[in-house]
Amino acid sequence: MSNLLNIGKTGLDASKKSLQTTGHNIANANTEGYSRQRVHQTTNTPISKGGLIAGTGARVVSTNRVHDQFVEKQLTQSISNNDYHRTRSEHLAMVENVFNEIDQDGLNYVLNRFYNSFRDLANQPENETIRSVVRDSANLVSKDFRRIRSSLDQHARQIDRIMETEIEDINTISKRIANLNAEIARLEVGNDTAPDLRDQRDLLVRTLSESFDVHTYLDEKNRYVVSAKGVGTLVSGTEVQELAVKSMARNESSNNMDGSYEIVFKRKPGFSITANFEGGRIEALAKTRNEDLRTLQDRIDSTAFEFMNTVNAIHRRGYVNRNVEANVNGEFPSQDRRGPTTGIDFFRPPEERYNAANMIDLSAAVKGDLSNVATALTPNSPGDNRVAIAISKLQHERIMAEGTSTLEEDYLQMIGRVGIEAGKANFDFEQAEGLLAQAVNMRERISGVSIDEETANMVRYQHAYDASARVMRTADEMFKTVLGIMR
Amino acid sequence: MSRVSENSSQASLRHALNRTKSKMEDLQLKGSTLRSVVRPSDNPLSSVEGLTLKSSRADNTQFQRNSDHALLSLNVTENAIESLTDILVKAKEIAIAQSSDFYNPEVRQAVSNEINQLRNQAISIANKRVGQRYIFGGFNTLTTPFNGKGEYQGDTGKITVEVSKDFFIPINLHGEEVFFTADSLPAQQENPLRNFPEIENQLRDDLQELPDEEIIFGRELASTSEQPFQTRENIFSLLETLYTALNNDDPKLIQSTLERFDTTIDRLITLRTQVGSLSNSIENTRNVMDAENIGKEERISQLLDADVAELFSDITKQQAILQTTYKSSQGLLNSRLIDFLR
Repeated sequence: MSNLLNIGKTGLDASKKSLQTTGHNIANANTEGYSRQRVHQTTNTPISKGGLIAGTGARVVSTNRVHDQFVEKQLTQSISNNDYHRTRSEHLAMVENVFNEIDQDGLNYVLNRFYNSFRDLANQPENETIRSVVRDSANLVSKDFRRIRSSLDQHARQIDRIMETEIEDINTISKRIANLNAEIARLEVGNDTAPDLRDQRDLLVRTLSESFDVHTYLDEKNRYVVSAKGVGTLVSGTEVQELAVKSMARNESSNNMDGSYEIVFKRKPGFSITANFEGGRIEALAKTRNEDLRTLQDRIDSTAFEFMNTVNAIHRRGYVNRNVEANVNGEFPSQDRRGPTTGIDFFRPPEERYNAANMIDLSAAVKGDLSNVATALTPNSPGDNRVAIAISKLQHERIMAEGTSTLEEDYLQMIGRVGIEAGKANFDFEQAEGLLAQAVNMRERISGVSIDEETANMVRYQHAYDASARVMRTADEMFKTVLGIMR
Repeated sequence: MSRVSENSSQASLRHALNRTKSKMEDLQLKGSTLRSVVRPSDNPLSSVEGLTLKSSRADNTQFQRNSDHALLSLNVTENAIESLTDILVKAKEIAIAQSSDFYNPEVRQAVSNEINQLRNQAISIANKRVGQRYIFGGFNTLTTPFNGKGEYQGDTGKITVEVSKDFFIPINLHGEEVFFTADSLPAQQENPLRNFPEIENQLRDDLQELPDEEIIFGRELASTSEQPFQTRENIFSLLETLYTALNNDDPKLIQSTLERFDTTIDRLITLRTQVGSLSNSIENTRNVMDAENIGKEERISQLLDADVAELFSDITKQQAILQTTYKSSQGLLNSRLIDFLR
C-alpha cells in the first residue's frame, strides 16, 4: 500500500513537472528564438515481488526542446540570403536616388542646358548677357558633377561606418556564443540538456548569419564551432577569434578611396579579408562599395574628365571677345593687359582622371572675366560663332568609351545599369523574403508554441494530476480501512 | 497535417499583409504621381528612353529658337537686298533715260544729284543693323562695314546656325558678296567641328568617312549661277561711275553702265532667291520638328505615365485583397481554445 502511495506520488510529480513545462511554454510563447519544450517521461523500473512483476509509477527523464537541426540550418541560410538581398536592395535604392531624374533635374538635364546655352550664344555671340547664362549653366553642370561624386563618396564612407559597427556586433556576439558554450558544457552533464541556453545560442547564431554565411558544428562537449564561410573559424569552444576594421590608404583599399575600411583579423591586421565574406550584410555592403559604387565613381570621373577636356580643347582655339590690337607686323599678341587672348581653358584643366568629377570647376579666367568666354576662331570678330557652335556640337559627338558613344548615351547607359541592378536587387529581395518566410514558418511549425495545444495539454496534465491525487487518497482510505480493522 | 503554432500563423499572416501593403504603397505612389516609372529600377529601359527623348525635345526647342533667330536675320537680309535691287532698278531707269542724246547737260547735272542720293541710300542699307549687329559685316559685326567712300571694313565670315540636328544654315551675307563679288554661299554648312582638327582626328571617324567630294558637289549645285558673274562688280563704284558720267555729260559712259546694271541686278535677284530658299528650308525643318515633338511627347507619356484606368483598377483589386486578408485573419487571431474551456 505504501507502494500505491508512492506510485501516486510519482504521477503527481510527473504531472506537476509537465504542467510546469506547459506554463513555461505559454510564458515563452512570444520569446524570440524559443523552442517549445517537452517533458520526456518514462516508467519507473519495475520490481518483482513473489514472482509478480509490478510497475512502480512514472519518472521524468529529461526536458527536451522540440528542435530540428536541419530546419535550423535552412533557416540560418535563408536569413543570410535575405539579409544579403535586403541590404543590397536598400543600398542600391540609395544609389539609384542619386541618379533619379525622372521627376527632377539631374546631370542629363543640366548638360543639355549647357550645350543649348552655347547654341544660344552662337545665335548672338556679341551678347554679354548670354555669355553669363553660359557661365551659369556651366556652373550648374560642375555643381551636379560634384553632387553626384560626393553623394557616391559619402555613401561609401557610410558603408565604412556600417561595417565598423557590424564588426563590433560580430565580436560581441562571438564572445556571447563562447560564454554560452562554456555555460552549456558546465550544465549538461549526462543526458540532460539545457534547452533554454541552447535556444539562446541558436538565436545568436541566427543573428550572426544576418552578417554572413555561418557554418556551425558541435564538438564533443556540445560546444559550437562557428566559422564564417570563406573566412575561417570565429568561435571554437570558448576561444574567440576577433575581427577588426582598419583604415587603408588609397592604393591598398579595395574601392580606390583614401581611408576606407577593410576587415581584418585582429591578430593579423595586415591582411584584408573584406572580399572573402560570403552572403549576409557584409558581402552586400562590400559588393555595393567595391563594385557598384566604385564603377560609378570611376565612370562619373571619366565623364567629367572627357567633358572638360573636349570643351577645353575647342575653347582654347578661340579668341577672347574683346578688341585685340595687332602689333606692327600685323600679328595678334597672345597677351593683352587683361590676360591671354587665346588658348584659354573653359574648365580648370583636370590633372588626372581620378576624382575629376569632384575637382570640376570653371577656370579662373572664365570665372573672372566674361570676355574670356571665347566664341570666335579669329581675333576681333565679335560675330564669329564657330567656337560656340563647335562646343554645342560636342553634345552629339562620340567622345566617350573610346569613341563609341556620346556623353549623353554614356551617362544614360550608366543610369540604365543602376536601374537594372536596383531592379534585380529588389526582385531578388522579394524572392528571398518569401523563402525566409517559408523557413521561419517551417521552424515555427516544429518549434513554435501553440497556445491551443498547450491549453489542451494543461487540461490533460491537470486531469492526470487530479487522478494521481485521487490514487493517493484511495491509498489513504485503504490505510484507514486497514487501521479500522485493528480497532 | 502540419502543425500550426502561434508564431507560424503569425509569421505567414505578417508576410501576406506586408506583401499586399507594399504593393498597395507602390500603387498609391504611382497613383499620386500618375507615373508608371517613378525611379529607374521600375523600368530601366523606358526610363532611359524617356530621358533621351526629353533631352532631344529640349534640343528641338533650342533648334526652334535658332530657327527664329535665323529667319529674322535672313528676312532682314532679304529685305535689304530687295531695297538694294529697287535702288539699282531706279538708277538703271535713269541711266536708260539719260543714255540718249535727248537731255542736255543741265538736266543730267540735276539728275546726278538723285544718283548721289541713291548711292547714299545704298550705303545706309549696307550698314543696316539688327539689334547691335551689322548684317553685312561678316564676323566683324560690331563695326560699321562700309565707310563713306564705300570701302568694305568687314570680313568674309559666314555665321552659321544649327536649325535642326546636324543641319547648319548660314544666316548672313557678307558685304563683299553682296556689294562686290559674285561669290556664292553653299546651301548647307559642313560640320563645325571640322575647324578643330584636334577633336576631329581624335574622335571623328565618321566625319572623315564623309567624302569631301559630296560637300564640294553640294557647293557647286548651290552656285551654278557663278559663271555669269565672273566679272566683279562694285555697286558703289557703279553708282559713282554713273554719277560722274552724268556730271560730265558723257552719254557713252552712261550707256556702258547699262549692261553692268543688268548683271548686278541679276546677281542680286539670284542672291535673294538663295536667301529665300534658305528661309524656306528653315520653315520646312521647323514643321518637321513640330510634328516630331508631338510624336516625342506622346512617346514620353507612353513610357513614363501611368495608364490611369489600369492603375485604378489595380488599386481597387489590391484593396479588395487587403480587405480579404484582414477578414480571414480575424478568425485566426481572435479565437482560442481557452475561450471555450470555461
